[in-house]
Order: sequence, then structure tokens, then C-alpha cells
Amino acid sequence: MEHSEPVIEKPFETKELTISMGPQHPATHGVLRLVLDLDGENVVKCTPYVGYLHRGVEKLGENRTYLAALPLSDRLDYISSMNNNVGYVNAVEKLFGIEAPERAKYIRTMVAEMGRLSSHIIWLGTHVIDIGATTPFLLAMTERERILDLFEMLCGARLTVSYPRVGGVRNDISQEFLDELYEFILEFPHRIDDYETLVTENRIWKDRTVGVGIISAKEAVNWGLTGGMLRGSGIDYDVRKYVPYDAYDKVDFMIPVGKDPGDCYDRYKVRVEEMRQANRIIKQCVENLPAGPVMADAPKFTLPPKDLVLRDMEHLIHQFVLITKGPSVAEGEVYVGTEVPKGELGFYFVSDGTGKPYRMRVRAPSYVHASVLPRLCKGGYVADVIANIGTIDIVLGECDR
Amino acid sequence: MTSGKILKTVFFVEILKGLALTFRTLFKHPVTRRYPKVKVPAKAGFRGLHALARNAEGRMKCVGCGLCGAYCPSKCIHIYTSEGDDHAKIVDRYEIDVLRCIFCGFCVEACPFGAITLSEHYEYSETSRGAFYMTREKLLENWDKYFAGPKGERYFKEFWLPQSNTYSSYEGQAMFRGRAKGKE
Ligand code: SF4
Ligand code: SF4
Repeated sequence: MEHSEPVIEKPFETKELTISMGPQHPATHGVLRLVLDLDGENVVKCTPYVGYLHRGVEKLGENRTYLAALPLSDRLDYISSMNNNVGYVNAVEKLFGIEAPERAKYIRTMVAEMGRLSSHIIWLGTHVIDIGATTPFLLAMTERERILDLFEMLCGARLTVSYPRVGGVRNDISQEFLDELYEFILEFPHRIDDYETLVTENRIWKDRTVGVGIISAKEAVNWGLTGGMLRGSGIDYDVRKYVPYDAYDKVDFMIPVGKDPGDCYDRYKVRVEEMRQANRIIKQCVENLPAGPVMADAPKFTLPPKDLVLRDMEHLIHQFVLITKGPSVAEGEVYVGTEVPKGELGFYFVSDGTGKPYRMRVRAPSYVHASVLPRLCKGGYVADVIANIGTIDIVLGECDR
Repeated sequence: MTSGKILKTVFFVEILKGLALTFRTLFKHPVTRRYPKVKVPAKAGFRGLHALARNAEGRMKCVGCGLCGAYCPSKCIHIYTSEGDDHAKIVDRYEIDVLRCIFCGFCVEACPFGAITLSEHYEYSETSRGAFYMTREKLLENWDKYFAGPKGERYFKEFWLPQSNTYSSYEGQAMFRGRAKGKE
């Protein structure tokens, strides 16, 4: 019998494969679902699906008074709830036309930067653990625990703090808190050094991030990116510098920027430097903390001091009216953007003259950043999808609202 | 590539540095705690399970004004009142659906009589949903359990600030005073 070679008539054929990644995938940071069209290892198309965590925060806000809707903002970006609170109260204060006292502003700046640290720590930890490094994650969580302990000392809650109030903050800080915070602040730069020792120069880390998820400055602006995503591409836009709120105009800090076009590694560098700057801001706030009240003297808009409610008829009436009907606000609309760890978080209120907003709109950076994911993933490898999800630093609670 | 870079690449310098850090950490104290055995005490002012306050005679302070229920962002306080003799308001039922509660502490802020408070108790897992529907009796029981003694009294008194005395004089406010003694 004649032995014959098998004849290959056609070259080996590949077919596009569509897979669904998430919403229960551990690397999608919550409930993000990506539908990936793959050609072998290459991503042809990536389509994000959001909305699994939709709770209707904007609508809920319209059914609560301006004062009582504050805890809703905690649940947007739940890993840095303090920053959302600060954004919310700044917007409402602008609508009311009141201003928080100096001390409250300093405290808010301080705690917002602590929130930024805790968020960036989570970002760093999860970003590197997605790519395969476990140690920095565990180290980073140690420091986050300390920040959460400080939050607990401050206001009695660790994650959903609801600490700032319209017109100030809930309670004055204690000496114990201030001392402990200062100790933490003096020590934290060394911890950042530790993370950098483990990650920054590591060749595997560099192989996985340098040249991945490239986006140019022009494109970044056109996509509406903010925060670390924008600054990673070399544009020095930061709400804290350009439209200062709270005490940001009184502290000295720098805006770290990457290069144009920026990749995952640039964004990593930017965020790590942001941690150092946040540390600097907290240090200045602690050192320059002025004495004074922590709530604005605006009886028509803020709840009166507790003991006066029990003693004084007028305050009791204010208490009743503010809680049941809400403050009476002039008609109008207001937008205030604040810099949260993820980018620019904006609150937009339309008031129809009652105690509840006619419309409450939240401009969530995570939503915008999730929309850029197809652009970042296209043409890359499957493994880079994970790096890209890590680098856009989204929280689905905020994205879906 | 410069020669320095080549050397660094060949000898895995950055990896060794990282490993050295990991090795040093071996000799540090662990930061994790063995939770059910080692408990972490809640910090002062922790926002935990609710309690209804009693006055000096041991009666419930709440008068059923309903402010807490109106302010509650998750609408989980249900109050039912009726009219008694002499047109007095009687609180028939006061219930909190703790599973819906978000522990924001707004009810405490709203109450003009200091009648509701949050305790430092945070371990309240149960096996049925019904156990989390706190009735008036359960809430008063919480008061007896967690607010007995001077510690509870102090906690209750200081839970909600600002009070008008801290409002007008700023002496004793927390201010920066350098590093604490012994740590310089
Ligand atoms: S703590 Fe907040 S959510 Fe819970 S009962 Fe009080 S007001 Fe409602
Ligand atoms: S707990 Fe306070 S606010 Fe609530 S009904 Fe009783 S008295 Fe009114």
C-alpha cells in the first residue's frame, strides 16, 4: 500500500469567538460585563454592559430633602465615600448660598484626601493583583485599614461615612484623631516607597503595562476623561487647582502628569505621585488647622445644635420644618464638580423652590471611563483587557448609580 | 542600553530588592486579627445597633413625634400612635427594620428629645429575617443592655455634636501640637 502524506487543502482557519466576561468575573471590579469578540488572542471588539448595580440614586435623591439625601452619595463610589459626600455638600451649599466655616473647610479637605488615599490604595492593590502580584495588595490593605480606623474614630463608620454636612461637618474632630492622623501621615510616604520598590521597576509589571492602553491627550479630552486618566496623558487638569473648593486654594500641592500619549504605566506613575501629594495636603491641613466653629450659622438651612432644640422654641420649629419639609431654596440650578479619586464628580441640581430637588444629576467619572474601555482594548490581547480595566479605575456603584 | 542597565537586567536587581522587602516583612508583627477570638472594640461613637432611650424614671423618652421616621433616608422607621386620655399621644408601636437601615445616624440627629440612639454593638447576626425587625420592646432592651452604667451615659451624651457650648467657645478644640510625646 502506498503511503501518502496528508494533504492540507486549506490553511488552518480561525473563527471569531464571542465570550462574555463578567459580571461575576473577579477582575472586572464589581459587576461590569464585557462582551469580547476574539480572534485568537486578539480583541477585535469589546463591548461593556453596565447597569447591574443600578439603584436609581438620582431618582431617590429627588424624593428626599436636600439634607436627607446625603447618604445616597456615599453609595456612589463606595470605596471613597468621603469624597462623594464632600462633592454633594459643596453643590448643595452653592445652591443654598451658604458657606462652611474655615475650620470645617480644612477638615473636609483633610478627610477628602484621606478618602483619596484609601481609594488609590485599593486601586493599586487590585490593579497589581489582577496582573499577578499578590504582595503589594496585602501590604496596601494594611494601610487602608489604618485609614478606615481613623474614619471610625472620626465619625463612627468605616465605609459609608456620611461625615460632612451641608454647611460644615457632622462633629468636630478629637485631639486623639488629629494626633493619630499626623503619625500616619509621617509614616505613609515610607509605605509608598515600599509599594514602589515592589512594583515600579519590576520587569513583569513593566512588560504588562508599558505600551498598553495607549491614549493620546487629544483623544483623552475628546472622550471626556478626567482625573488620573486625563493626567496620565499629559494634561494637567485638576478641579482642585482650576476651580478650588474647600481649602484647596490654601494648600500647596502639585499636579502630577504623564506623557502624551499615555499608557497604563504613566497612569500608574501619576496615581502613585497623587498619593504623595495627598499626603502633603493632609499634612498642611493638620498643621494649619484653624480654630472655630464647624457648622455654618445658617438656621434656615442647617439643623440647629442639639441642646438648643431642647431648650428653645425657635430652634425646635426649625428642626421640625427642616426635617419634614426641607429648607426653602430659591429656584435655580447649580453644577459643582469636585475632584474625586476617579476623576471629576459633578452634582447638578435643579431646584423648583421646594425642599426637594426637582432634578438631581450625578456626573460620574466611572461611567465616562467605562465608555473608553472599547477604545483601549481594541487590537490588544485578552490579557491586556485586565490591565485596562485596572487602569481606568472604575467603581460600578458610581457607574450604574 | 547602558552597562548599568544591562547589569541590572542580568542580576534581577529590582526583583531582589522586592524580595528583600518581603523578607524583612517576615519579622514584623502580623496586622491581622483572629476575629471571633480577638475582638476589636468599636471606637467611641460607633454607629451600631439602635436603642430607644429611657429617662430617669425608666420610661421611654420617645413621644412619637415622627421626626426620625421623616428624616430617615431609607424610610425604615415605622411609628404608630394613638390618642389616649387627656388627648395625650401614645406610642403604640415603634419599629425599625434594621435590615433596611444604613446606619447613617440621621434619626439620632433628627430626634428633638434624644430618644433614639445608636449603640456600639455591631455583632448581631441572626438566622431569621424576623429577628431584625426591631420592635419597641427589643429597642428598649438594647438600651438596658448597651447603655447601662457611666460609659453608656457618656456615649449617649456625646453622640451628637455640635452642641451649642462647643459652638460658642472654641477652647479645648483639637489643634495641631506636634508629634505626641515619646514618638519624636
Ligand atoms: S440610622 Fe439612618 S437609616 Fe437607620 S434608622 Fe436611623 S435614619 Fe434610618
Ligand atoms: S425617637 Fe425621637 S424623633 Fe423619633 S418619634 Fe420618638 S421622639 Fe420623635
